[in-house]
Amino acid sequence: MTYAIETEGLVKVYKQRWTKREMRAVDGISIRVEPGATFGLLGPNGAGKTTFVKMLLACSHPTAGRALVFGKDSWIPESRRSVGYLPENHRFPTYLTGAGMLDFYGALSGVDAATRKKRIPELLDMVGLDRWGATRLGKYSKGMLQRVGLAQALIHEPKLLVLDEPSDGVDPVGRKQIRDILHGLEEKGVTIFINSHLLQEVELFCRDVAIIRKGKVALEGRVKELTSEGGYRIDLEHAPDNLATELKGRAKAVVSNNGNLQFLFNTREEANVAFDIVRAAKCEVESMTKASSTLEEVFIRTVEQK
Amino acid sequence: MASFALILDTVREAMARKVFWAFFFASTAILLFFMFIMHVDVVNGMVASMTIFQANGRTHGDLSAEKLVEGAQGGLSIFLYTFGMGLAIFASAGLISAVFEPGRVELVLSKPVSRVQVLLGRYVGNLVIVAANLFYLTVGIWVIFGVKVGVWRPHMLLASVVTLFMFSVMLAFILLISVLWESAAVSIIATFALIVISLVLGAKNMLDRLLSSEFSRDLVAGLYYILPKVPDGGQILHHVITGQAVESWMPVWSTALFGIVALASGLWIFQKRNF
Repeated sequence: MTYAIETEGLVKVYKQRWTKREMRAVDGISIRVEPGATFGLLGPNGAGKTTFVKMLLACSHPTAGRALVFGKDSWIPESRRSVGYLPENHRFPTYLTGAGMLDFYGALSGVDAATRKKRIPELLDMVGLDRWGATRLGKYSKGMLQRVGLAQALIHEPKLLVLDEPSDGVDPVGRKQIRDILHGLEEKGVTIFINSHLLQEVELFCRDVAIIRKGKVALEGRVKELTSEGGYRIDLEHAPDNLATELKGRAKAVVSNNGNLQFLFNTREEANVAFDIVRAAKCEVESMTKASSTLEEVFIRTVEQK
Repeated sequence: MASFALILDTVREAMARKVFWAFFFASTAILLFFMFIMHVDVVNGMVASMTIFQANGRTHGDLSAEKLVEGAQGGLSIFLYTFGMGLAIFASAGLISAVFEPGRVELVLSKPVSRVQVLLGRYVGNLVIVAANLFYLTVGIWVIFGVKVGVWRPHMLLASVVTLFMFSVMLAFILLISVLWESAAVSIIATFALIVISLVLGAKNMLDRLLSSEFSRDLVAGLYYILPKVPDGGQILHHVITGQAVESWMPVWSTALFGIVALASGLWIFQKRNF
C-alpha cells in the first residue's frame, strides 16, 4: 500500500554553530498516514511537530531516516506536486492582492494560466473572500489571511493537505467554515494532516492522531479508541504527598491540575483498593467515575508521563 | 511557468518596495540634469565649434569632432558604470534576502520547485529590473547627447552591457552573502567592501613597488586574480568606447569566473540550508 505520508526513523539533530551542542528536535519518528485519512499531529510546544512537518515538505533536511509522500521521497520536488500546505506564522507577500497571491502560488504549483483564471474566483468564493480578491493582502485581517492561505493550499487540487494551526486567528464562524471546507475535501478523498494545539478541533475532525513528546511518538491511534479507553477515575483534592505517591504507584496514569489529582485505574477492583487506601488515610474522595477521556485528557496524560 | 512566476514576483516586489521606481526616478533626474548641462553656454560653444570643424572637415591638432564625442562618451560611460552599479547594488540587496523571511520561505519550498529555481528566479528577476533601468539611463543619455551634438556613435550603449555584466557578478556575491547571513545590510556592506578591495588591488603595480615582502606581493597578486576587477572593467569599457585597443581580456573572464563560483556556492549552500 502506498501511504499518503510515510516516515521511517526520521531524526533531526540541530547543532549549535560554535558550541557544537546537539539538540534532537525529532528523534526517530515513524508514522504512516493512509490515503484519505484525517490525521492530527499533537504535542506540546517544542515537541518537534513543526520540524517534522518541515522535513516532510523539504524545508529541512533529516539527519537520519526518510520521509515519503505518496511513495516519493519528499526531497524530490515532484513529490510536492500533490501537497497543499498552509504554514503556521505564514508571511504572504503583502504587495500582492488575494487573487494575485493565488495566481503566484498556483503558477509555482504547476497550474496553467487558464485553470488558474477559473479556479481563483471559485476558491475565493469558497473561503468567503469573493469580494476581497482585488484587495492587497496588507489590508487583510489575520482570519482573512488564514482563509486565503487555505485557498492557496487548494489551488492545485492537492491529494494531501498539510495544515499547521489552520484555525489560528480565525473567529468561530470562520472556524466552522474551515471545518466545513475540510469535511468537503475529506469526502472527496483528500488526505488531511493537521498540526494543531486546538485539541477539541482535532478531536472533532481527525480520525487518527499521534502525540509527539520530546521528538518521539508517545501515543498513536484512532481518536475513538484513545478516548474511549476503559478504566475508572478517582479525583482527589489536596492529597497528602505520601498518599499521592502510593496511588501513583498503583494507577496507570495521573493527571495533575491546580493541586487536584486525577488517578486512572485499569479495573474496578484496582479503583476500589485505591478508594480504601484514600479512606484509610482519612482523605476525602472528590469523585469516582467510569473513565471516558477527552482527547485533551489523553494528551495531558501522555505529555506528562515521565 | 514556475521560473517565470518567480521572476515576475521579484519584479512585482521591487515595484511594491519602490525600489524600481526609486531607481527609475534617480535615472530620470540624472537625464534631466544632463539635458540641463547640455544647454549651458560652455557646452553650446563647444558644440558650435565642433559643428564648424565637422562642416569644414578640419581638425585642430589631434582634436576632431569625432574625438571630442569619443572622449565625452568615454567619460559618461565611466559615470554610468560607477553610478549605475552603486544604485543597482542598493536596490537589489533587500530583494534577495527577502526570500529567506520565515513564514515565506517554507511556503515557496513546499511547492514543486527546486531550490535552485527559487534562488535563480530571484537572481534573474533582479537582473531584469536593473537591466531595464540601466538601458533607460544609457539610452537616455545617448539620445540626449546624439540630439545635441548630432553624432550617433553606438559604442556608448555598451556601457549598459558592461555595467550589467559587472553588476551580475556583484549580485552573485550579494546572493552568496544573503544565503549565509540572511541580511540585506550585511550583503550591501560586504559588496561595497569587495569593491573597495578591488579598487585597492587595481593599483597592483604600485602596491608591488610599495610592498617589501614577497609574501605580501604574492598575496596581493593572488587576491587580484581571484576577486572581481571593478576598476579594470571600467578601464576596458573606456577603451572600447574610445576606440582604443584592449590589452587583455583577463579581467573580464576572471571576473566572470568569480561570479560563477559565487553564484554556484550560494545555490549550493541554499540547497543545504534548513528552514
